[in-house]
Amino acid sequence: MKNLVNIKGKNKGLVLYLDDQCAYTDLLAELKAKVSDPALDSDTEVTVHLNKRYCTDSQIKEISDIVSTNPHLKVVATTSDILTVEESDQMILERQSETYVGIVRSGQVVKANGDLVVIGDVNPNGRVEAGGSVYVLGRLKGAAHAGTKGNRDAVIAASWLEATQLKIADELETMTDELSSLSEQPEMECAYLHTNGTIIIDRLQELRFIRPQISTFKGGS
Amino acid sequence: MGEAIVITSGKGGVGKTTTTANLGTALALQGKKVCLIDTDIGLRNLDVILGLENRIIYDLIDVLEGRCKVHQALVKDKRFDDMLYLLPAAQTADKNDVNPEQMKELVTELKKDYDFVIIDCPAGIEQGYKNAVVGADHAIVVTTPEISAVRDADRIIGLLELEENIDAPRLIINRIRPHLMKAGEALDVNEITTHLSIDLLGIIADDERVISSSNKGEPIVMDPSNTAALGYRNIARRLLGESVPLMSMEKAPPSLFTKIKAVFTK
Repeated sequence: MKNLVNIKGKNKGLVLYLDDQCAYTDLLAELKAKVSDPALDSDTEVTVHLNKRYCTDSQIKEISDIVSTNPHLKVVATTSDILTVEESDQMILERQSETYVGIVRSGQVVKANGDLVVIGDVNPNGRVEAGGSVYVLGRLKGAAHAGTKGNRDAVIAASWLEATQLKIADELETMTDELSSLSEQPEMECAYLHTNGTIIIDRLQELRFIRPQISTFKGGS
Repeated sequence: MGEAIVITSGKGGVGKTTTTANLGTALALQGKKVCLIDTDIGLRNLDVILGLENRIIYDLIDVLEGRCKVHQALVKDKRFDDMLYLLPAAQTADKNDVNPEQMKELVTELKKDYDFVIIDCPAGIEQGYKNAVVGADHAIVVTTPEISAVRDADRIIGLLELEENIDAPRLIINRIRPHLMKAGEALDVNEITTHLSIDLLGIIADDERVISSSNKGEPIVMDPSNTAALGYRNIARRLLGESVPLMSMEKAPPSLFTKIKAVFTK
């Protein structure tokens, strides 16, 4: 009989490849048998790979609970080769860029799923939020939040960066005078999240070295 | 069919009521038939500034609740023949006693008989504000060169831009003190207009006589020698479509003659 659960060793722990054609109950039964193998007796990190089987969140939890019945195994990740249409649409939205033309005035909030381009100023007490990055072609004098869904690579860039507050993913920076990088002439600047978890402000020209992945331009010469 | 203009600011105390009284008077002086509506129900002031307090018989609420006809409630300002009228706010009710539909109907009714219906809006962005803007065709935002007033003006402009029936709001910067602006201690006219990015309708110098004339019940605009009065008169002319240059806030540099005179009097 074909193996429904294949265990392979990778440089950091084990990967469990689960068959995607058999019945779900059969898969669980074999998984239970495999993980209770007494040979697995040292603490190991496990990645579960579902191949082309779609599992709901509760099924994924069921699978990792079974793996965890062996006290030496710890599930660190669950991967899969497929997405639902809904997830895929959401990903497209998050990759898209939305444009707002006008002034974001006090008390107004402009939100986007993906990147947000504001053509106009963001006035004090105005707020812009984006799942991706925030680009302001104008003066950013209000609050900006990039990477609202946790994207720590998102950036905030503005022709004039004089925001009251900057937030990237869940790191907040209130722009006080002590912030040394806040220059006198905050023209053409960008803010990004450093690996140490603080928000850094730099010249816009540095962005292509700091976040090369932002550039999606292809072609040309 | 006349036009209805709402005077608003968000923040209190920047001079909405003074501006309403003076613009209304200036337009009446230009020969236009003007009706002023005080929508600051419960905290009425416009009647005091115009010196019409003693002559109020009926008020806005009486009209809206059908206790009297509109023309019975209108107080005529006898100084301007038949040109200036005031519809006073009620003092015994509050802003929630009026709803926007009633106000819209009233303003539409008044626009038939007057060239200008000027609505004095209360401070804030709640019910009173909604009642004041609902019938307006145009909006004038009043601010002063203070950051707090400019912030609130920004908020109000955002709200006014959502109103479909109102044209793009225009700005009046009130209480300008040229020496503070020159010293960079107050926002200057340019900074305010770039920040708010709406059209500037006019600027009014800060003047103590505005206060004393308000206390006497005579709008300052009646005194043609006063700079604040000139500011209001210029705004009225701009509202009538004239193009009037913005007045300079600085004192004229001393002429050659005064310089020579100064040499000899030393």
